[in-house]
Amino acid sequence: MRVHKLFRKTRFSFFALFGVIVLSVSFLSIRTVSRELEVEYVSNSRSIAKNIADSSVDILLNRNLATLQSLIDQFVQIESIRYIYITSDTGEFLAHTFVPGIPDEILASDPSSTETVDRSLPGMGEFIEVGSPILSGVAGNVHVGMDEELLRLKIQRAVGQQMYLFGIILVIGTLLSFWFVSFSARPLADLMSLAVKLAGDGKATGEEDVLGRDDEVGELARLFTHVADGSARGDEGR
Amino acid sequence: MEHSKTDPAGGNPSPPTVPNPPAITRRSLIGSGLAALFGAPFAKSLSGADGGLAGGGSAGRPAAPYVHRGLRQDDEIVLGVSAAFSGPSRGLGTELYRGSMAYFNELNENGGVNGRRIVMKLLDDGYQPDPCVANTIELMQDERVFLLFNYVGTPTVTRALPVLKTFRDQQVFLFFPFTGAEPQREPPYDEFAFNLRASYRQETAGLVDNFVNIGRRRVAVFYQNDAYGRSGWAGVREALARHGETIAGEATYTRGTQFSASMREQVNILLDRSPDAVICIGAYQACGAFARDAVDLGLHIPVANVSFVGSENMLQLLQEGRPDPNSHTRWLVNSQVVPSYADTSLPAVQEYGELMERYDPRPPDDVERITPNEPYETFPQSFVSLEGFVNAKLIAEIIRRMGDDPQRSGIEEAVFNVRNYDLGVGERVSFGPNRRQGLQRVYYTVVEGDRFVPLTDWEASFGMP
Repeated sequence: MRVHKLFRKTRFSFFALFGVIVLSVSFLSIRTVSRELEVEYVSNSRSIAKNIADSSVDILLNRNLATLQSLIDQFVQIESIRYIYITSDTGEFLAHTFVPGIPDEILASDPSSTETVDRSLPGMGEFIEVGSPILSGVAGNVHVGMDEELLRLKIQRAVGQQMYLFGIILVIGTLLSFWFVSFSARPLADLMSLAVKLAGDGKATGEEDVLGRDDEVGELARLFTHVADGSARGDEGR
Repeated sequence: MEHSKTDPAGGNPSPPTVPNPPAITRRSLIGSGLAALFGAPFAKSLSGADGGLAGGGSAGRPAAPYVHRGLRQDDEIVLGVSAAFSGPSRGLGTELYRGSMAYFNELNENGGVNGRRIVMKLLDDGYQPDPCVANTIELMQDERVFLLFNYVGTPTVTRALPVLKTFRDQQVFLFFPFTGAEPQREPPYDEFAFNLRASYRQETAGLVDNFVNIGRRRVAVFYQNDAYGRSGWAGVREALARHGETIAGEATYTRGTQFSASMREQVNILLDRSPDAVICIGAYQACGAFARDAVDLGLHIPVANVSFVGSENMLQLLQEGRPDPNSHTRWLVNSQVVPSYADTSLPAVQEYGELMERYDPRPPDDVERITPNEPYETFPQSFVSLEGFVNAKLIAEIIRRMGDDPQRSGIEEAVFNVRNYDLGVGERVSFGPNRRQGLQRVYYTVVEGDRFVPLTDWEASFGMP
């Protein structure tokens, strides 16, 4: 005999609790991962921009623009960096990595600003641009554009992996809760079976397991049997 | 890897093998690149990773006696070459090599230099910086060449120079690279290289001056987006500034672009700026594509190229298979750093013509292995092979001046002893501690028939309508 009604709410509660835990942790994790990755992304890019700016001082002072171009060509090999440009103190573009030309949006922007900005360049995509001044800006500025699409992909990948893990935990947790409830309900089902038999012919034939238990269910089973026996003797005396 | 050797019987040289560039990891690429740019701090790590070079060897590597470095055998002097023998610019490395081989063949057949034959150890870098850095280290560390010679390209040479600085104790110099860029002409790397050709600064200044003189003041630039292109761009910018002008417009392309690629986007960018002339700083495939699309889109203004372009290679691309071979060459004007190979009044040019015809050096065999589906057709004569020829002629003279026991430590002094030397190209060559470029003259050429010929009248050819 199975016990359905009594543990239905318990099962649902287990499932709901797991669901809430998984969803809330996922939400928190997505936010954290997304924020942390973006912060790290921008921070790394700022470091690169600063590195280029620091390395550019002597090169600019020597008017060696070929070496300057060679320098930024190497940094643009880094996966997330899609473009770099260096402007002079007067805003002239001294070196850049744009092909086939410098986009109009970049030409129209303020080259002296090193604020982090979001850029949408037609035909190229969405970018986060960070800047760094060279010699506090008196020698020019370095601007580094990072692929926002790549950042999104990285976030999606990281979140996707976490969601996959949480999904597996949810399924396993639900199955475990079902098993645990069923396991907990089995002695009660045996007791119920015993009670049905005692109510029928008054005999507890085949219920030795539940009668032999040394826990509360066993005591209750023996009490049921005792009550049933007493009731039978009373009937015979009458 | 064999180095090229002259057939003792007097025939063509047995071609050297050209291996693929060594496999390089992302980390080593970035490391070598940064080392190449910033010199000692990073380069030391390269040295450490490779066992080190100083002192004629290190742990695990047999030390070679210092005086014998670069002298493979008693009768050979080995010149290390890293150049483009594959890829879209392979014509440059190949023709430069052929010109040099024409001279070395003749030289070696006649006893070499002070009894020693001159051979070239070739490595292919495909005109890519990182393989060039790796090749340079290999040539210096493993091959222990006597000197480096005939390197091709600015992005490659720019990155190889810090390697020379890092291993400066070995006194390996880079001779006559096929680039007019400034990095090997200016501190901090000028002391490690000797140039023969005029610089891009001189070439672009000459082009700008001539354009301005005929009223073409709005000059735009089409350039390869790397150190080479930037070097030329900077030259144009400086030259225009002297005339009170700025660059009228600019468009770029990526290194390695093929002739089959469209350059219409670049042409349209420049069309919007209405220039009077365009100066191209690029390689023959991309510049040929630009010249083709410029004519097709109605950009009928002079399109100038600097010497690195490889004039004959570009002309071949523009004329091949066209009903009117000159339909796309009318507006071309190319600057050169050697005189016309048709000018046989010059002794070196005459000698070049004779030796190219006599030996007709083949490209390295392995070039065909690297690019099996792209057979390379050599040119009987070209500006690039003529430059290779005069490079070889001068390096042989320098080695000759070092006497019977040439040592690296004596190279610089031998070069500085070259003063007012008649190389046979109509301009005397001098070197000194503050003069590390032998030739200064720039020549201008236009297409006539199937070759570039000297431009005599700018106004008549390209004057404003």
